[in-house]
Formats: sequence, structure tokens, C-alpha cells
Amino acid sequence: MSNEAIVRPPRVAGLSRPSWFNRQTAWFVAFAAVLLWAVVQSGAFDGPILNRGGWTLALQFARAALHPDLSADMARLTLDSSLTTVAFAIAGTTLSIAVGLVFGVLSSEVFWQLVFPARGDRQAVRHRVPLACVRAGLAVPRAIHEAIWGLFFINILGLDPLVAVLAIGIPFGAITARIFAAILDEAPREALHALQSSGASPAKAILYGLLPQAMPDLLSYTFYRLECAIRAAAVLGLIGAGGLGYQLLLSLQSLRYEQVWTFLYALIVLSALTDVWSSFLRRRLHLANRTELKFAHQPKERRLQYRVDPAARRSLVVMAVLVVFSFWYIQADFARLFDPHTLSLLAGVMRDALPPRIDGAMLGDLLRLSAQTLSMSILAITFAGAGALLLSFPAASNFLLPGGIFDHGGSRARAFRGTVIWIVGRGVLLVLRALSEAIWALVALFFLFPGILPGALGLGLYNLGIVGRLMAEVTENVDQRPLRALQAQGASSAQVFLYGVLPATLPRSLAYVLYRWEVCIRATVMVGFVGAGGLGRLLADQMSSFDYRSVAATLLALLALTFGVDSLSTRIRRTLRV
Amino acid sequence: MPTEAVFVLRNVTKVFGRSAVLEDINLEVASGERVALIGPSGAGKTTLLGLLNGTLNPTQGEVCTLGQNLSRLSRSARQQVQRDIGTIHQQFHLVNNLRVIHNVNAGHLGRWSFARALISLFWPLEVELARSALEQVGIADKLYETTGHLSGGQQQRVALARALVQNPKVILADEPIASLDPERGRELMDLLHHLSQKSNKTLVTSIHSVHFARSHFQRLIGLREGRIVFDCSADDVTPAMIEALYRIERGDARGERVEA
Repeated sequence: MSNEAIVRPPRVAGLSRPSWFNRQTAWFVAFAAVLLWAVVQSGAFDGPILNRGGWTLALQFARAALHPDLSADMARLTLDSSLTTVAFAIAGTTLSIAVGLVFGVLSSEVFWQLVFPARGDRQAVRHRVPLACVRAGLAVPRAIHEAIWGLFFINILGLDPLVAVLAIGIPFGAITARIFAAILDEAPREALHALQSSGASPAKAILYGLLPQAMPDLLSYTFYRLECAIRAAAVLGLIGAGGLGYQLLLSLQSLRYEQVWTFLYALIVLSALTDVWSSFLRRRLHLANRTELKFAHQPKERRLQYRVDPAARRSLVVMAVLVVFSFWYIQADFARLFDPHTLSLLAGVMRDALPPRIDGAMLGDLLRLSAQTLSMSILAITFAGAGALLLSFPAASNFLLPGGIFDHGGSRARAFRGTVIWIVGRGVLLVLRALSEAIWALVALFFLFPGILPGALGLGLYNLGIVGRLMAEVTENVDQRPLRALQAQGASSAQVFLYGVLPATLPRSLAYVLYRWEVCIRATVMVGFVGAGGLGRLLADQMSSFDYRSVAATLLALLALTFGVDSLSTRIRRTLRV
Repeated sequence: MPTEAVFVLRNVTKVFGRSAVLEDINLEVASGERVALIGPSGAGKTTLLGLLNGTLNPTQGEVCTLGQNLSRLSRSARQQVQRDIGTIHQQFHLVNNLRVIHNVNAGHLGRWSFARALISLFWPLEVELARSALEQVGIADKLYETTGHLSGGQQQRVALARALVQNPKVILADEPIASLDPERGRELMDLLHHLSQKSNKTLVTSIHSVHFARSHFQRLIGLREGRIVFDCSADDVTPAMIEALYRIERGDARGERVEA
């Protein structure tokens, strides 16, 4: 094609094509190799994986979706167990916020800098020591999945409502502490320094100078935690803590699929309600994205716009009422925690668990199962990432909907089609994340033999729902002007997607996938508990036979895996520069 | 000079929500003309450019671009016409995560197949052309840099290089120098002027600097509150006309004015 506008100058030397041998491609090749390893590990080539015997049951299960049991008794039971689940979730979240606030302050850099102020021009390092200690101490409860905490407390307290509250409160509290510390460290410090120089103590200075500024982020994150807690509470039911999950498991075991579906629908509705409420609140607090604070150092001006919106204030009042109701409804006896019998049981467990059983046979088992667990998490997150990438775009509200990037102001039929695709996309993602990994794994076990694959499928489906929604938010926040510019020069929709949408969203989306991988490896325990395999299954067996020395060894292996994945994921995200 | 019309607007009105941003615009731009749109902020300059390149459809009236009424065409036919219109924006509107070469090559998209576009993302095609285009705007050494890492002036040059590669018959520019310092601004205006003159491309630019509007364009169109106040040769525009165009009004809705 001749282009008279461009004078072709003599060829300049240098400026060769950038090499393909860079860190990104290195990670990509490594990923492909590891994925292949994971597929081999999964046993996909070692014989039958499809369990034909379960197909009739699977068919019955699928048919029951159309006739859930809606009798009056069931309705009462569903309502009661839903309330229990919600109450567990809210009470657990309340506990986790309390834990998170205290330890969030204690694990924030700014607090220790206030306690040990820098003197003169010497770089202060004294504050680093207690900071590192607190942070290391929080890493362990955070790395242990809530289901393990649940089983642990069931062994000590029996079937007590405290189990669910503690099992949610402790790990969520440790996670919340980390996020709160990051929020506090990033809040503007001018007011804090002013208070500090007028002689306020560190705690007071933070209370008056820092917390008010960090409030919107703290609130938004609290609601995000509540969304997670609802699902966690349902899952804890599966291990016997009561609520929707417990009833669901009972009905599933007695093959009453109509009842199972009633509970599943209740779970979806609960999850949808929390989702809607939390995103409403975020919008009112001018926060674009549910997890933005984990990744972005957003401009500080945003915080200044914050006013308590009346609707947001009403939400808080409702929440306060719900917290009181929840503690009343579950009738937990917190005094039991401190009674001598419980304490002696706890001490007994500690004695029994030490030293961890690490002999030759155990080590071999742990290595083999760790490899299985790792490959399960890799298969799951690959599946989730690929599926989420496909589903997130039609589920983004600025894509095919009227007025979206790819709505060309055409006919009414096109607008209708766009709307339908959007609703279906959103709905699929919602259902996928409303039912947790354990329930999807149970469903997968209808037609797959126990092993890595049903676990990976369960984890993959659930995380697809979560990552897909996060990616849809990334797409919704994309700057549309470059896309319109491409369209204005005659590029087709597919090309605009390729040159505009994908480059703008892919790095952030990949970061979410990698972040979710950390969550995934922790959650392998949960699918193991329902029979999918890996370290989780071993742990469940050891727990139920009260073999605490072996439990301790397995926990160590799980912790090592979690920390390994954690640091690898952080390192890859850094190379992606997001 | 051929007087074949590139743009013809007849009784064009554009309404956003309840307010008319443009009212009853009648306009013809001939091939090879260099036209500057001037006027205060909110006069409707950006909207007018959006109507010209088919990003917006008029609420009333008719816009003919290169002999076609874009709002009546099918999507693919419209894309066909849009290939011949290159637009440069104040905020550059580039994809920051892509290398410069891909942003420049985006100028080919109207002609390239999807497969070709895809391959080029992995193995850049037409590298020599892109390099020459960047050479022409003075930043050939940035070929493989990440676009978001460049300065504002450099990004505007990338946007211009993209328009060069697109090789359109018409270049539209929306406040192309508003984000640049005066020296970078002058260089860019010189480039645009030179380009239009050399290859006889039609150039329509909205611009805040009356100085550049006079020095670089043959024809000035003054827009105020959605209406054309004047439309004449650059030499015929008097300081009084400019002052009237930009005058800040005080007073009530009936338009009683307090003269400054």
C-alpha cells in the first residue's frame, strides 16, 4: 500500500526487535511445563476418570433442580438454617473485625513508628523488630483454612455454635489485620503527625488522626469479608457446624435431591443479597472496586471526597441491628471458651500434637500428597482463569449492553440480545460463586472418581465465579476513550477488543488470578474434606482419629505449600508489573 | 484546487439529554482545506468533530462525510468510510499498556484482517513503515517502548504517527496541543500543517490558541453556544470578532449583557 504521507528515511541502524527471551515469556514457558506436570499428576491418563455408575444419580440430581422441595416444613427449616448461617457469618465477621482492628494496628508500620519515633537524622530501625514479629505471627492463622479451624474446634468444643464463630473469626481476623494494616499505612499522615507533635499517645493519635481517613476503605473491606463469611459459614456446615451446609449435607447423603436444591437456592439468594448490598455500599462510598485496595495505590484525593452518605448510614444501622440479632440467635456461650475444662482440653491437644510425627513413611506420604495438592490448585486456577477471561467480558456492564463499548446503536433486537447475554453472564458467575468449592466438588463426585480432578473442578468452578466477577469489574473500569478512538478510525469490534480492551485489562486480570491461586491452595483442604483427595483428605482422616502428631505434620506441609505459593505468586505479579 | 466537498452539514442539531450542544449548523469543507474551529469551552467543538468522524449521530439534520451519510450506513460500510478519517485527541487516547509499535500499527486496523492484527501483536508487522512514521514525528527511537512510559509530548507524536500510518484523506484533531507546552505545541502544529500541505490532506482542528489558528490555517470557524458565529478566511478575522467570540457574559437568562 502506498502511503504518500510518510517519507521513508534511510534505514537507521540499531533498534532491533525486542527479544522474546524475557521474564514474562520465561514465566509463561514455566507455567506451560507445570500445567503439563499437573495434568499428568491428576491421573487423567492413568485409567478411567468418569464414574459411569454415578450418572443415574447425577441425572436425578439435575432433574430435581426443577422441583425443589417447597413444603411448609422445608420452608421453615430452610429459613431457620439460613438465619443460622447468616448469624454465624455476621458473628464471625464481627469477631474478625475486632481481631483485625487490634492486630491491624499492631501490624502496621505507622503504629510502631509512633511508638519508636526516629530520633535526629538516624534512620530508625527499632520499629522493624516488633513489626516483623507480629506479621510473622499473623501469617500462620491466616494460612490455615477456616475448615481446619472448624474441625479443630469441633474436636474440642463439640457441636457448639462457637465453632463456626471462631472458625470464621480467627483466620478472617488475621487476613483482615493484614489488609487493615496496609490501609492504615497508606492513609495520609498529616493529621496524625499534627496530633503526635501535640503529645497524643500512639493509640490516640491513630484513633483520631488515621482511622477516620481510612474509614471508607475499612468499611468496604468489611463488607467484602461478610460476603466471604456467608460462603464460609455454609461450608462450615458441611463439617458439622450447623446451618445451611449441614442440612444440605444431610439431604444429600439421604439422596433427597429436591431438598438439596431448596438449600442450594437459598444459598444463592443469600449470596446474591449480600453481593448487591455490598456493591451498593461501595458505590455510595465512591469505591470503584471491591478489592482495589489490595492492588492499587489510588490517588489520595478520592479519600477527601468522602462524606457519610445517608443511605450508607442507614446500611450501618441495619448492620448494627443484625450483629445484635446474630449473637442472640446463635446463643453462643462465650464463657465456655475460658472454662477450665476447655482450657485443659486445649492444653491436652497441644501436648498430643508435639512433636509432629515426621518419619520416613509419613514424609513419603506428605511429599506425594503435597504434589497432588499443588497440581490440584494449578489445574483449578488455570481452569478458573481461562473460564473467567471468557465470561468476564459479556458480564461487564460496559460491554454489550446498550450504551456499552460494543453496542453500535443498532436495532432493538441487538440491544435485547446484549442485555440477555449480560444477564446470563452475571447469573452464571453469581451461581458459581454462591455455591462454594466443596459443594461443586460434591457435585463433581457424581460423575468423577474421587481424586484430584473432582477437587480441581470444584475449586475451579467456584474461583471462576469469583475471578470472573473481579475481571468484569476491571473491564468496567477501563478507559473507554482509546477504544472509541480505534472505532472512529474504522477498526472492527474484534480488533478493538484485541488492540484496546485486552491490553488494558489483561495485566490486572492476571494479577487477580495469581492472587486467587494463593486462596486456592489453602482451599484445597476443603475439597479434600468432602472426599476429593490431596492433603485435605489425609488431614480429615487424621483429625477424626484424633492423631494430633500426624495432624501437626500435615499442617506443616500445608503451611509450607501455602507460603511457597504465596511468595511465588507475589514474585510473578511483580514481573507483570501490576 | 478541487472543490469536492469532504464534509457537508445541513441544519445539524445535536442534543445531549435536554440541552442542545449544537444548533442548526450548516457547513461545507472542501478537500485539502485547513480549517480551525475556535471558540470558548463548551461551544460544541468536540461534538462537531465527533459528528464529522461518525462517533456521534446528529439529532436532526444531515452530516455527509466523504459523500456518505454515516448515520444511514451499515456498520461495515461506515467502517469503510471511517478508514479515511484519522482523529487525534487532546488526551491522545492511546492504549498505554501496549508498545509504541502496536499503537502506531493500530492505524492499519481498518485495512487489516483480524488474523493479521493478531499476528502483529506477537511479531510486529510493517515495522519499517511504523519506524518511518515515528521518524517523521521525531521519536523513531521509541519504537519498542511501552506507550504509557512516554511523556505527554511523545504520546501525542505517537498518536500522530498512528494517523500517518492510517493514511487518511482527512485528519481531525481535537485540541491536539492543549496538553503540550508551547514549544511542543508549535512543533506539532508545524507537523500537521506540513503534512496537510504536502499530501493535500484535509485538516479540521479545534484549537484554543487563536495565534496558531491564524498562523497555521486558511479558514477559521468561530463557534459559540452551539452556533456558528463566523466562518471566514483567516485573514478576514478581526480582533473584534475574536473578542466577541470569547466574551464572558454576565446577566440573566434573557441575555442582558454587562459589557466588560
